[in-house]
Amino acid sequence: MKKYALKIAEAECWGCKACEVACKQEHKTSVDINFIKIIEEWGKKEDGSPDFIFRARICRHCENPACVDACPVEAIRKRDDGIVILDSDVCTGCGSCIEACPYNAISLDESQGKAKKCNMCYHRVDNGLIPACADNVCLAHCIYFGDARKIDKMIEEKFWLKARIEGKLSSQIIKVED
Amino acid sequence: MTEFRYANVEREMKMYGFDRMVKSTCRGCHGGCGVYVYVKDGKVAKIQGDPDHPINHGTLCSKGLAAAEIAYHPDRLLYPVKRVGPKGSGRWERITWDEALDTIADRINNYREKYGPESIVFGYGTGRENEAVIYRIANLLGSPNVLTAGHFCYGPRICTSIITCGTNPIIDYENGPKCIIMWGNNVTISNPDCYKGEPFSVALSRGAKLIVVDPRLTRPAARADIWLQLRPGTDAALALGMLNVIVNEKLYDKEFVENYTFGWDEFVKRVNEYPLEKVEKITWVPKEKIQAAARLFATTRPGAIQWGVAIEQQINCADNDRLLMFLMGLTGNIDAQGGQVLYKTPPIVNVGQFGAHAMLPREQAAKRLGGDRFRLAARFAIINPKSVWDAIIEEKPYPVKMLFFISSNPVVTRDNAKEVYKALEKVEFMAVADFFITPTAELADIVLPAATWLEMDYIGDFWKRHGYILARRKVVQIGECRSDHEMLNDLAHRIGQGQFWWDSFEGGLDYILEPMGMKWRDFKEMDYVRGEVRYKKYKEFGFSTPTRKFELYSTTLEKMGYDPLPQHREVPESPVSTPELNKEYPYILITGARQPGFFHTENRQVKWLRGLHRDPIVQIHPDTAAKEGIKEGDWVVIESPRGKIKQRAALFPGIDPRVVAAQHGWWFPEKKESNHGWDESNVNILTDNAYEGCDPAIGATNIRALLCKIYPYKDGGLK
Repeated sequence: MKKYALKIAEAECWGCKACEVACKQEHKTSVDINFIKIIEEWGKKEDGSPDFIFRARICRHCENPACVDACPVEAIRKRDDGIVILDSDVCTGCGSCIEACPYNAISLDESQGKAKKCNMCYHRVDNGLIPACADNVCLAHCIYFGDARKIDKMIEEKFWLKARIEGKLSSQIIKVED
Repeated sequence: MTEFRYANVEREMKMYGFDRMVKSTCRGCHGGCGVYVYVKDGKVAKIQGDPDHPINHGTLCSKGLAAAEIAYHPDRLLYPVKRVGPKGSGRWERITWDEALDTIADRINNYREKYGPESIVFGYGTGRENEAVIYRIANLLGSPNVLTAGHFCYGPRICTSIITCGTNPIIDYENGPKCIIMWGNNVTISNPDCYKGEPFSVALSRGAKLIVVDPRLTRPAARADIWLQLRPGTDAALALGMLNVIVNEKLYDKEFVENYTFGWDEFVKRVNEYPLEKVEKITWVPKEKIQAAARLFATTRPGAIQWGVAIEQQINCADNDRLLMFLMGLTGNIDAQGGQVLYKTPPIVNVGQFGAHAMLPREQAAKRLGGDRFRLAARFAIINPKSVWDAIIEEKPYPVKMLFFISSNPVVTRDNAKEVYKALEKVEFMAVADFFITPTAELADIVLPAATWLEMDYIGDFWKRHGYILARRKVVQIGECRSDHEMLNDLAHRIGQGQFWWDSFEGGLDYILEPMGMKWRDFKEMDYVRGEVRYKKYKEFGFSTPTRKFELYSTTLEKMGYDPLPQHREVPESPVSTPELNKEYPYILITGARQPGFFHTENRQVKWLRGLHRDPIVQIHPDTAAKEGIKEGDWVVIESPRGKIKQRAALFPGIDPRVVAAQHGWWFPEKKESNHGWDESNVNILTDNAYEGCDPAIGATNIRALLCKIYPYKDGGLK
């Protein structure tokens, strides 16, 4: 069975926020709703000096999603291919999923009274297209989409790098096994 | 199994029912990114990067992705207008292109007759690749006065590289530099001329070492092997310190120094005036770190320096640029594979030839504003902005009566904004061409609706030094908007320059391509053309300088009466140069760090981009904030000897407690009164533009390091 994953190698993110706008271009969400949001997280280096990293706030499409169990009207479901979809037509805007999500990845669109989150661009994926933010927008090439069973390896090997050095990223194929 | 590919055009077209896709080149900022523009029902519906494009490799920034939001914005100016109320009243009336251009032409003809062509000043900001047409119309008119950002942005890199090594050395990211110094720059956010963040990022992915010189902890600084957190405005001293190490530890490329440099002995004498103890004191950077950075860079080859505008917007502008070139040169990285290459552009009519500089009569060139003082600038047709405001306000050395700003918002971008405003209120006639009615346009007599890159044919990047020329294809027509090139081509015919222009601007594109034996209609079928790439050309031909050598000792500057060797000058307003003032204004203010989504003053009305940053932000160290009673998110007054503004506090541990960092370019399109709040958060209310504080050769205004005080804002606190 197909298993999709979208994962971000945050250590490489530069904070340019192109992914946020690529998402806007695809979904035309209102100004307060970001399915993907880049935030600074401060810490300290080994020597005690300040340090920071960019983190992406986005749905992780969890193996056992707390939001699915929390929703009283079954507006959220996990598909067999791993994508967790929140169906706005069914959502009543009660906010239970927002409370339940450990990643703070769901927000309430107050203009519509509906909860909103990243559905991994399933409409694109079902048409053989890569989710908008992962479609080679990122200048760090750090937003990975692919087979859930292989995604960590793709990240580790920077699978895109060879095609990039050859100047032919269009020839890069991402395979997801059935 | 399902197979996915990046930017799969066929599937995009099918899924969304797009009518067509046009390949083009973005110009949301400094340009050059290859894009696919999808069109549906006659409108741009989606923009996507071209994964095989040599500049961006398919990646695209927030500005490019939002280009259609800019183009179809409800506030966009879609037809020419004339002002029907007092300046700043916001009362406009629609007119025809003929009326607009005839009015402008009449004014030009009258002022030329009565006050001379030098009384008419054309201007552009960071441009829409319109520099060639603007210089052409001005030079053919006989006006030596084109006000650009060239005195402190990219222009200095061009001038100083021409006098040092012949042309601007560009990083050969394609061939994997192994050590990169990112100096006063964050290419992952800013996309400075000739560069994109993506190739830099890829170089790091390929394992390059990184040294970052920046007063703030940027994300590249956080990832760096060495971060040099210098005192703002002391770049020249730091570079001299690093050169001191490289010279005295004999880490330089001896063959290069012996055979291809000019002025070595004098240069060595100068760097020996900057021992590391002294440099540490000037720069606040521990000498061990300076030493380590110099050693790492000099011994890890090929290496490259990623630079940008921050080092240029200083009193040491020209010397900063030269010193960084010396670091490239002495380490053997100039024109080296994987280092910094003196690229060849394809054979075309270049921007200087197109700009018709040779057609400006000598006696007119001699009248260039500020030309006596800023002699290096004048040689390259660059003027300092204050000289224009003075010529309007005081009519010295002669009156300027007319301004024509094309892609420029000087009320917000130019230093000492109050003086700028006064000048624009006084000038007799002003025309502006832009996308929106900006605070500058509000003071104009006529505003012309300019086309975005989606609405024009053009040869992208033909003025750059990275060796590519790129095809930009017109995708749509929106309202009555015209490209700057088309409108000036039309205007030129109305002021008697018809013989030097064309029936339509396609003729101008044909003219640029003529030496390649090509016409626009041929080039349009291609995506790009690259010039021939060869390394170490100087071994055959020498450098294109007066001595044919890489000039450490500048014979050009010497002839102009300047110090031929680079030096550290203390910034005009600092704890060192003005200790008394420092008691009242205890913090060093740095300005202008770039924000994703904005291009200087642009895009603050675009929801997707404004959503990235709602308010202007000043970064303050948490200890400093606590001391001043400031909390995260508070509105804060920032006050300099010139005035005060407010921005919102962000507590930022990655800055020295003695330094605060304010954003630039802020105005509020949503505020309809008080000219869009042009002076509320505009950092140039604080900056100074006195000639004495400018770089003596190029006239760069020192806007990156000044003194300020900060305190919590209360209602009415800006009065």
